Formats: sequence, structure tokens, C-alpha cells
Amino acid sequence: MSYPELECLRLERRGPVGWLLNNRPEQLNAMSAKMRDEFAVAWDTLNHDPEVRVIVHTGEGRAFQTGVDVTEIATDGVGMERYRQSVEDWDLHFTAWHQHVWKPVITAVNGICAGGGFHWIADADIVIAASDAQFFDPHVSVGQVVAIEAIGLLRKVPAEAVMRMAFVGRYERISAQRAYELGMISQIVDPPDRLRDEAQALAEKIARNSPAAMAATKRALWGALETGLTDACRAGARELVSMWGHPDQEEGPRAFAEKREPRWRELQAGT
Amino acid sequence: MSAYETLVVERRGAVGWLVFDRPDAGNAMDATMFRELERAWRELDDDPAVRVIVNTGNGRAFQTGLDVAQLARDKDALREQSRRTRDADLRLTAWHNRVWKPVIAAVNGVCAGGGLHFVADADIVIASSDATFLDPHVSIGQVSAYETIGLARKSPMEAITRMALVGRHERMTAQRAYELGILSQVVDPPDRLRDEAQALAEKIARNSPAAMAATKRALWGALEAGLTDACRAGSRELVGMWGHPDQEEGPRAFAERRDARWQVDA
Repeated sequence: MSYPELECLRLERRGPVGWLLNNRPEQLNAMSAKMRDEFAVAWDTLNHDPEVRVIVHTGEGRAFQTGVDVTEIATDGVGMERYRQSVEDWDLHFTAWHQHVWKPVITAVNGICAGGGFHWIADADIVIAASDAQFFDPHVSVGQVVAIEAIGLLRKVPAEAVMRMAFVGRYERISAQRAYELGMISQIVDPPDRLRDEAQALAEKIARNSPAAMAATKRALWGALETGLTDACRAGARELVSMWGHPDQEEGPRAFAEKREPRWRELQAGT
Repeated sequence: MSAYETLVVERRGAVGWLVFDRPDAGNAMDATMFRELERAWRELDDDPAVRVIVNTGNGRAFQTGLDVAQLARDKDALREQSRRTRDADLRLTAWHNRVWKPVIAAVNGVCAGGGLHFVADADIVIASSDATFLDPHVSIGQVSAYETIGLARKSPMEAITRMALVGRHERMTAQRAYELGILSQVVDPPDRLRDEAQALAEKIARNSPAAMAATKRALWGALEAGLTDACRAGSRELVGMWGHPDQEEGPRAFAERRDARWQVDA
């Protein structure tokens, strides 16, 4: 499957791993209107490529992502208004969660992650970071509200840390080490230039698991962020039972007994 | 400035301070403090000169919950507090009193039982290195609910259920609370706590008051709903700020390398 040529992003496949790279390094990978539109295409492309089992998202240059392109906002006469309709209608398409990607997504934070960059931390399944990565949320320091990405983070990490970042704004940064302690990320890669190799290695481990079981697991866990505990367990039970009778459930134990890699059933688009 | 018996309420620059002031009683809340807390939060939230609020205690304790002995002698106050507890109509903390300015809890010593309300309901929590946390409710035959429910939303839950069930037989250190993300800063030596709280508050005071109020509504509102519903509600707060003068002033001040002049809403 050949990937479309994009202006602000790059798509690649390395074995079973699809790579999505933020590719506006001069602008610290800030999201222009163009980049925002390309994200929707990029996630759909990787999600529907049957060769891709796991997706890694990282950035080119010294930043991972620094939110909306403020220069574009300030100079094109349209400003934040360009986003009004989509935000008011909750019609966003720039993260894997927005695009209902059912494959596991690893965000590999390669440097600065600021403001809107947290969307891809909040909405990833797994987050790792280079040892020199830094995290901060300058929204309120430039008169903007932070909401959606911080709300996502609040579900997943101790809330005090999220609120401190939200209110201190650009006057303080948290280190990869502190993000690791808080459980915001699960791995620090040192030296930093090993990040992509480590991300690829982690993705290849994940790619050895049953795609169907991972898709159902992902629906169960993300669905659990929507409801109370008992309701979430009920919905999770439906995902659990849905796998019963699936060929992967026979293949998994058989491969284990025969000490070989399992041959998983391909996941069909739209399932 | 109006006088308080059980609190000290003061301003340092843009920072409002609400200080528990019953040091001989471990700053426990008596009937007077109940009334005064409601008035003090309102006074600081309504004062346009105050951008950020710091909450701490005088003496060795931060807060140790209800003053059960005093309330036992004041039947009317006890009845009123029981009603408020039953009706989920408490007025102790900034969250209860709908304060939309950022609130920092600066925990200066022991924080026990009902004192945890003020940790659960603050936006930011820092503590002196000798601060400790415990929840003795079940050790005296009381149920722990509000404050531990709030904390369980914000922190890894095992730590909270352990604190609630071990009761007075164990204390959590400031260091462990930091590791768990219950607080974001341990201040050592302890007597630097107020200076550090003031410095942190002054950083926050440099941000847009309107944007912070909307952010606070969005984030606390998010603890009420499922993820998607919370994001939808949050997007309304986000869009509600568009066109606000702070949104032009912020980038302009940044470009001109000066502090922003934020609009202060009445």
C-alpha cells in the first residue's frame, strides 16, 4: 500500500509498524490548518493499511508538537475562528482517538510538547519520551483556555499535575523524569537519539499480539473513560465475550504450546 | 478588611491568603470557622485585586477536620453541619463555594480527616517536607466519603483507599504524596513553604484571569462526566473565550517581551 504525499506530515511503514511523523520542524511542528486536515488522512491511511499492526507517532526536529500554529492564527485574519464550527460541533479529526483508530498507538515524544501537543499524549495508548523531552501548557499565558487535551489527561494521570500545568502556563516545565514518575509516560529513552529505535522495538513487541483481541481491548479501556465503573465493566464484558469463538483464541494457546509465533487473523476494516 | 476569629485573610500583591488560625486546636473547624470559611472564600473570590488564592495553616497543623468537642457543645451548629453533609451542601472549600480563581493548598503540617477536603478541592497542592496526611475517620467510627471521593478522582486510588481504611494507624509523608501526584512540590526546609507558595502564585497571577476561570470550569466539570461529554462541555468553555481581548493581548505581550495587561472581569 503506497502512502499519500503530505506537506506537513510524513507516513512510513517499517515492518508491521506504521510511522506518522510531524514534519514542520522549523515551526516546532505547530499545527497549521493544512496539517490539521492532513492528520485525518494520515490516521485513516495507517488504520486501514492491513500491513500495519501498530502505529508510532513522533516529530521531526527538536519539538514533538507545540499546538496550534499561533503565527498562522495571528497573521491570516481568520484566527481561531477557523476552528469555531468544528470545536462547537465536537467534530475534530486530528488524533487517533478522534479518528476511531482501533490499532494500538504509541506516541514517542522527541522534544518539546507544549499546549495543544498534549492532544497526542492524552489520546495515545502508550507514551514514551526522550530523556530531554519537556512538557508545559502555555494556553492561559496567552489568553487561551485549555480544555480538551487537559480533560483527556485528567482521566489518565493524577489531576493535580494536570491542573498545575494548566494554571502555571508557560512559567514552568515538567521533565521527562517527572512525567515518568506521574505515569504520564511509561519509558524514558536515553540517550535521546535512541527514541525511534526503542519505539520501533516496543511496537514490534505489541505487533506480536492478536490484532482482534487488541482492538476489543482498546474499545473496552477507552470506553471505560466514558462511564461509571459498573457500566464500564458491563460494556467491557461485551467486548470480552465478542472474542469467544474467534480463531485467534485457538491459535494463541496452540502457538504457545508449539513454541512458535501465532498466525493471527487479519483485522477487517470497520470491525 | 473584615475581622475573622478563626482565619487570617490577607493580600500580598495579587495573591489572597486564607490561613486557618486555630493553632491550639490543630486548626480544626468549629462552628465559627464554618461560617468564616464561606465568607472568606467569597471575599477573596470577589476581590478583583486577588488573582490567585493560597490556603495554609498557622502552627504545626494544616487542618485536622471537624472540632468534634466544640460541635458537641453547640447543638445548633452541629445540626446545621449535619444537614449540609446530608444534602451535599458543604461550604468549607473553594470548590464548595464555587471559587473560580486558582487555589493553591500549601500544607504546612499534619492534614487529617476533614482537612483532606482542602487538598481534594484545591487546584494545586504543595507541602512542607514535614507535612503528613492521614484519615482517621474509621478509627473513631466515622465514615470517610467526600474528601476521599474527591481525592480518588485525582490520584491513584489504592493510596486513597489505604488511607481511608488504615485510619489513624499510619501516615503518608509529603514525599510519598509527591510521588503519587497528590501534590506537585515538596518544600524544604519547611519554613520556606509560604515563600514558595507566594512565588508559585505570582507566576500564576501573570496568566489571563478570564482564561484561567474558563479552564478551571472545564477541568473541574470534566470530573463530573464521561470523557466525550466532558470534552464537549470543555469545547464550549474553549470557544467562549474566542474574541475576548486577552486573546489578542496575550500573543502581543509575548511578541513584545512584556507582561500582559489582562482584562479583569468585574
